[in-house]
This record gives sequence, C-alpha cells and structure tokens, in this order.
Amino acid sequence: MLTLVAGDRPSGYNFQVPSVLPTIRVKILFFGRLRELTGFTEETGEVLDGATLAEVFQTYAQRFPKLAGFRTSMVASLNQEFAAWETPVRAGDEIAFLPPVSGG
Amino acid sequence: MPFSPEVENCRLIREVIDAAELVRTVRDGMDGAIVTFDGFVRNESHGRETKYLEYEAYESMALTKMKEIAAQAHEKFAIDRMVIVHRLGRLEIGETSVFIAVSAPHRGAAFDACRYAIDTLKKTVPIWKKEYFADGAVWADGELPPAPPGGKPAS
Repeated sequence: MLTLVAGDRPSGYNFQVPSVLPTIRVKILFFGRLRELTGFTEETGEVLDGATLAEVFQTYAQRFPKLAGFRTSMVASLNQEFAAWETPVRAGDEIAFLPPVSGG
Repeated sequence: MPFSPEVENCRLIREVIDAAELVRTVRDGMDGAIVTFDGFVRNESHGRETKYLEYEAYESMALTKMKEIAAQAHEKFAIDRMVIVHRLGRLEIGETSVFIAVSAPHRGAAFDACRYAIDTLKKTVPIWKKEYFADGAVWADGELPPAPPGGKPAS
C-alpha cells in the first residue's frame, strides 16, 4: 500500500514542478489497543521524505479514524527509542506507536 | 537455559519464571545481600474478578530498555549483579509476570536498586497487559513514557 505524508518542504520548494514527490519506505508498528484498532502489528509504509512522526501518524489516523482519539495518550518511538513527534523520519526507519505501558 | 548475569542480565520469556534460579545467579562471594521483586498476577482489578492476563511487548525495544535500566542501576547504586526477567503471553492468577533480583555487598544499595528497576520498568518498558474478566477484557491503565523534547531526532 502507498501512504503519502506531507513533509516539511524547505522554503523555495518549487510547487510548479510537482511530478513525483520523493518517498521513502519505513516500517510501522502498532501495539496493544492500537494494534487492535489497525488489525496489524507491522507493515511497510511509504511516506514522503522528510515527514515527521506526527505526519506519519496523521495518515494512519485518516486510514483508521478511531486512532485519532488516542493521539494524546500515546508516544512514538523511532528505531526503538522514544522520540518527539516533530522528529523527521528517514528511509528504513522503524516507527512504532505505543499506548501507555503497563508491564510488571 | 542457564542465566549468566555477566553475559545476559535481562530476558523476555514465555515460560514460567524460575525465581530460585535467578536468585542463585546473582549470588556471589563478595555480596552480603540480595533483594528481589516478584510481581505476580492479582485476582482482581478495580473490584472486578480477573480471570487471567495477556502480556505483549515490543520485544526488541523492551529488551533494550530493560538492559538500560540494569545499566543505570549499576551506575547509580553500589550493587554487584542485577537480573530482570519479564514473562509474556497468557498468565494465570498468581503467576509471576516480572522478577528482579539484585545482589550487593550491603542491603541498602540492593533495596534502592530493586525499587528503581521496577519503578522505571513500569514507566518506560514497552510491555502491555490485557485483563480478562468473566464479562470482557480491557487493556490495563498504563503510564505514558516521557517523550524527549521536540525538535531534533532522538539519538
């Protein structure tokens, strides 16, 4: 499947020449109640180069509308490290969306 | 498989946790104290009778975070060895879900390190439990791990 995310463009980006926007492939994971909402743990997604974690999440929230309600009670991780939502993603990154943890 | 704290001090398993074996692995001649934490499945949650629990984890990240906790415990406290084991999958009432054993020359450091390890695990290790009742199931209330400040990639 193809997931397109609007990434931050540097000023001066020429919108007159849209052609094909550069995309990158990333691994996306969901756990716990978020996994139950999407119906899968893991998939490879294609996102716009430079998209932030928040923007990646937004595309999934459009695909799975119930996800949106969990945005304020979850954290994101990038390559197995907790990461700020503003963090841009790169090709090959592993992105996970994590509900509040309840181990122990 | 025997557990050697020098080589591997954290583990996620799907079998019964052998607490006695873990205690043996942290015990050494230089030590004078061992403190353990045994977290096990309670028979009720918010007044509802629990039937059983199911644990799942982001396994690779969970193991990384558990190892970080053990490393931080060694930095913060004068301890000898620490092992942390968390079980995944279906657990029945009374079964151990997490076990931590810490050895130290003196008890204070062992108590402090054990407390630090379980408290930090509950806040930062990506593991989730679902509670099953007679009439349904819910994901347990959890803690939201602190996200790093925005603006730049996490290292």
